[in-house]
Amino acid sequence: MIGLEHYLFLGALLFVCGVVCMATKRNAIGVLIGVELVLNGANVNLVAFARYNPAFEIEGMIFSLLVIVLAAAEAAVALAIVLNFYNNHSTVDVDSAEELRG
Amino acid sequence: MSPFTNLEPFLFWTIACITGGCAIACVVTHNIVRSATWLLFALAGTSGIFFLLGADLVGAIQLLVYVGGTMILVVFGVMLTAQGPFISMRTSSGEWAVSVAAGLLLLSVLSVAISKIGKPTPPSGSTVAQYAPKTTLAEGMTKEGETNEVASKSPYSMAIGQGFLGVGVGPAHKETVNGKETVVRASYLLPFEIVSVHLLVALIGAAYLARAKRRKEAAV
Amino acid sequence: MGTLHDHPFLWFVIATLLPLASFTYLLLVGGVRNFARARRNHPAADAVYQGLGGDQPGRRAAYVGMAAIFLAFVCSAMGYVTYFVEHHRVEHESERIAEENEKLDHDLKSLRRKGRHFKGAEAKENSAKIAEIRKQIKENQQTVHESEERLEHRWSGSLLWARVWSSSAADPGSGNTLRIGARIDHLSGLMFVMVTFVATLIHLFSSGYMSDELDKQVEDHQVHGEDGGHFRRRGRFGRFFLFLSLFCFSMLNLLLADNLFQIFVSWELVGICSFLLIGFYYERTSATNAANKAFITNRVGDAGFIIGLLIVWTYLGTFNFEEMFSRLRAPVDMHHGHVHAHGGHHKQAVTDLTHRFVKADATKDIEGGKEMTMKAANEAGQYVVIMPRPMGGDHEDEGHQHYNAGELVDAKDRPKVGEHGYMPYWMLVVAGLGIFLGCVGKSAQFPLQVWLPDAMEGPTPVSALIHAATMVAAGVYLVGRCYPLFAPETLLTIAYTGGITLFVAATIAIVATDIKKVLAYSTVSQLGYMMLGLGVGGWAAGLFHLVTHAFFKALLFLGSGSVIYGCHHEQDMRKMGGLFPKMKITAISMLMGVFAIAGIPLFSGWYSKDAVLANAFGFIREHPQHVLLFVLPLITAGITTFYMFRMWFMTFAGRPKDHHVYDHAHETPWMMTTPLVLLAILSVGVAWGNPPWDASNSFMETQILHHAQPESVEVDFHDEHHAAHAGHDFAGGLALVMVVIGFSFAASTYWFGFLDPNESKEMFSGVHRFLSHKWYFDEAYSALFVRPAMAAAGWARWFDTNVVDGLVNGVGKSGLAVSRVHGFFDRVIVDGLVNVVAKVWYAIGSWLRVFQTGYIRSYVLFLGMAAAGIWLLLWVLTMAPAAQP
Repeated sequence: MIGLEHYLFLGALLFVCGVVCMATKRNAIGVLIGVELVLNGANVNLVAFARYNPAFEIEGMIFSLLVIVLAAAEAAVALAIVLNFYNNHSTVDVDSAEELRG
Repeated sequence: MSPFTNLEPFLFWTIACITGGCAIACVVTHNIVRSATWLLFALAGTSGIFFLLGADLVGAIQLLVYVGGTMILVVFGVMLTAQGPFISMRTSSGEWAVSVAAGLLLLSVLSVAISKIGKPTPPSGSTVAQYAPKTTLAEGMTKEGETNEVASKSPYSMAIGQGFLGVGVGPAHKETVNGKETVVRASYLLPFEIVSVHLLVALIGAAYLARAKRRKEAAV
Repeated sequence: MGTLHDHPFLWFVIATLLPLASFTYLLLVGGVRNFARARRNHPAADAVYQGLGGDQPGRRAAYVGMAAIFLAFVCSAMGYVTYFVEHHRVEHESERIAEENEKLDHDLKSLRRKGRHFKGAEAKENSAKIAEIRKQIKENQQTVHESEERLEHRWSGSLLWARVWSSSAADPGSGNTLRIGARIDHLSGLMFVMVTFVATLIHLFSSGYMSDELDKQVEDHQVHGEDGGHFRRRGRFGRFFLFLSLFCFSMLNLLLADNLFQIFVSWELVGICSFLLIGFYYERTSATNAANKAFITNRVGDAGFIIGLLIVWTYLGTFNFEEMFSRLRAPVDMHHGHVHAHGGHHKQAVTDLTHRFVKADATKDIEGGKEMTMKAANEAGQYVVIMPRPMGGDHEDEGHQHYNAGELVDAKDRPKVGEHGYMPYWMLVVAGLGIFLGCVGKSAQFPLQVWLPDAMEGPTPVSALIHAATMVAAGVYLVGRCYPLFAPETLLTIAYTGGITLFVAATIAIVATDIKKVLAYSTVSQLGYMMLGLGVGGWAAGLFHLVTHAFFKALLFLGSGSVIYGCHHEQDMRKMGGLFPKMKITAISMLMGVFAIAGIPLFSGWYSKDAVLANAFGFIREHPQHVLLFVLPLITAGITTFYMFRMWFMTFAGRPKDHHVYDHAHETPWMMTTPLVLLAILSVGVAWGNPPWDASNSFMETQILHHAQPESVEVDFHDEHHAAHAGHDFAGGLALVMVVIGFSFAASTYWFGFLDPNESKEMFSGVHRFLSHKWYFDEAYSALFVRPAMAAAGWARWFDTNVVDGLVNGVGKSGLAVSRVHGFFDRVIVDGLVNVVAKVWYAIGSWLRVFQTGYIRSYVLFLGMAAAGIWLLLWVLTMAPAAQP
């Protein structure tokens, strides 16, 4: 029987995949893909809670909708940043951006 | 008992395996175009999970906005920044090893945390129908006290839409209004407005950022 | 044969003496041969010399040694089967009687309840019935007792060796005696079979491996003469088997012994044999150094052992195991109606001290001793009460003492027969730690693990013998034997020593490139598992791992010997690779060993490692503050899988890296592959139970080792065992996850080439350097002990020449010196202090700078790791109150 923990585990898997993706991809778009995966993992959790917790039924869904919309906005802005980055460094390799090195 | 009398486990495992597998493939592949394609499948699989959870509206929006819109953005990004047909920027093995180890650690910790929660059973049928205000009962809905057939079958888009319009649909709580205790439900008009403004700001920002180069060239 | 029939333990005595006979024979023949060789110009002596083979060493030594050890195997196998059958019959019988007694006990209680309402004749009848049942119970107990005693009598025996002080007429029992004795139980019987079996195979293997030594002249490629050529010497085939025989005798004698002193003698014999065999190629400086290192390191441990022995002798006056334990542990209270049966302890409160140490505090002084109050088992006490020596004969009504917390006992300073003695509790802890220190040295535990990897200088079969069956097993065996002697503090030390050892050794094994060094560190690590298992109360689990490990480690070592022999004495794994098609038998049998040590399900290592981990898990469930004792072995399970598969892939898979080695590689002769195949079969199936896929139901653990477990273990660790049993699947599952992770890393690095080992090495160059220098243990010991000793010697010389001679001159120079000191003070101390502060901050800054990489990705990584770390921390912290009942 499928219970809440199965959905939560799927969400955790997506989340961890996203984190690993962010940590390993050198392509800026790859990092963006990682962020999308993380947000999706969170969304799966929200909707799963909405299904299994009556007090959270509407809110879970509304939150997940907000997350989707914010993710879209974030993707747009991130893409703009990536384009700008590409214009400045003529590459999308995030390792070439090391201006923060101490 | 045939395994198909209750489809949920079968569907869940199928969709979950597709989603998880695509997510892992998305991480593992070195080619960014393939990575984006795997992401597409992973997002579509997630929408399947949403449908399975009964959240039709979220699933639909996931398909529309994410799979349709965001993916297009990503693919555009890939195309606009591509330096060759199959770019792969390799990460060193050591970094891979550390990242995967950290990821597994994170996953194991999360799994432990998940195993600590109880096993709640989902409520049978929707409770949204009770939240729906009487004045906005649509045609085909029954009167107060009777089972709201239509609402319990396909309730969410309506309830969520009402919630965004400021009608109280959320969990009920008691509040004292003018010295009289009344039951109040949460509505989501303010978050809706905030998100709208946020979207607007983000879009303007994105347009501004993307324009930056032309301005620079113009200056030079 | 009649004696053998009455005292079947003599089978084991014969098994022990056979290698000694072979040793004596070889020693005599060798002595005569050398004697004759020195006088060759005399015709008679020459005839003797030529008759014994002349310059050419014969294979005879191998046949003699092999025959002896094989017969020893046959004897011990026969003896053990007899013991097994007999012991199970007795146990079955006593279980049946225990059940019957419980039923009778029940009847008795109901009769008593009824008896309250009876009057007159009925009451009389009832009380008669009660008396009858009581008698029956007593008789049953007597039967069990008798049959157990008969078993004991048949399977043990001893000879008086020395009486240490004479007995006086006033106190007939006061003489302390040293006896040579033998005692067989499931543990020693099983170990006998295992040791003789593995040793037989190693003898067979050696007769192939050492065949180079059969030549008239052996050229040692690693030793260079003064003329630049290689060193040449006569073959030493016979000498090798001479040492092997002595080694086997010492080990078997150690297993046979029923007392600590005999064990100590064998212990030293094992030590000297290892010294001789590690330094077998004694022309090589590295070999002599390694032999010295092994011997000296072991002396450090033995110093502790001797301290332990002295304490035991001083307070307990005996070295016999049974007597020692009966002095320290409270006896079963027969008069209390306690039914002697397995698993009957769980309802006791902690105040019942049966099978426990009787801790006590002194309340007042009495004549010649102290009056003490007994403490509950979980309270601290200043002293440990020593049980009285038995009076001998039938003393049914000796002064009876109940061992319950809160009761009083008179403990004498110099207890006579039948009187209680006492010893300070910390002395007991020190005695246990001392004995354990001996085991630390022998079993190469932290911090004395440095000798074992260097011992690889010996011939490979010797490494197999040392690592699998004999020397290192001796330490673990002794911990198992002396278990009831160890206080909880000692056991905790054992557990932590094992935990640290297993982790440290496993991390070093990751970077080792010499195929034998990898195996050496894996041995150290696996021994750590055994010690940890023993320390957390998993008596059967730790010894179970010892037995399974003996088989698969012997297999792995002999396999590596086969590879080395097949590659013409090339040991560097970086030059191997792709050997699978050339050495199929070796490769496949070694793969079985790798599966077993990694803990792949259904292979023997899986059962025993799961058992150890389950016990560790049970322990931390009861004591959450020791969570490290579970985390370390769990992580190490993954590391073990990684480095073992790394070894196998580097050797047999992939492309050949050195064509010279590859082209000349060949499969080894049957004498070497037969032991491999036999050991491979045992490495798979030795731990199977019914059904084989139930990890907690291994025949060897549940049917053999659990029966040998001292009663005190179950009493001391009842809750832990319960938790271990409940958490067996969980711990096993976690271990399996780690195994999968370790395997996938090894496969993706060394098989598929998905990850590049050189890149990782560069990335973690600091860690790599740290590990390949073996955590700088050798350097640290050199700095801490060797160099100070050298410096002290140099300083003494300096003192002689300069101070004694230069005292007069010194007076004149002292003025100069004072001003120099002053200048030094200004320059170094005053300026230095300021500089040090600056440097410290600079160092902290540059260390922190490392984390400011500027790469977005590494920040994400730090974030993820921090999140996981905080979660783990919270989990551990919140587990503590949750685990408290």
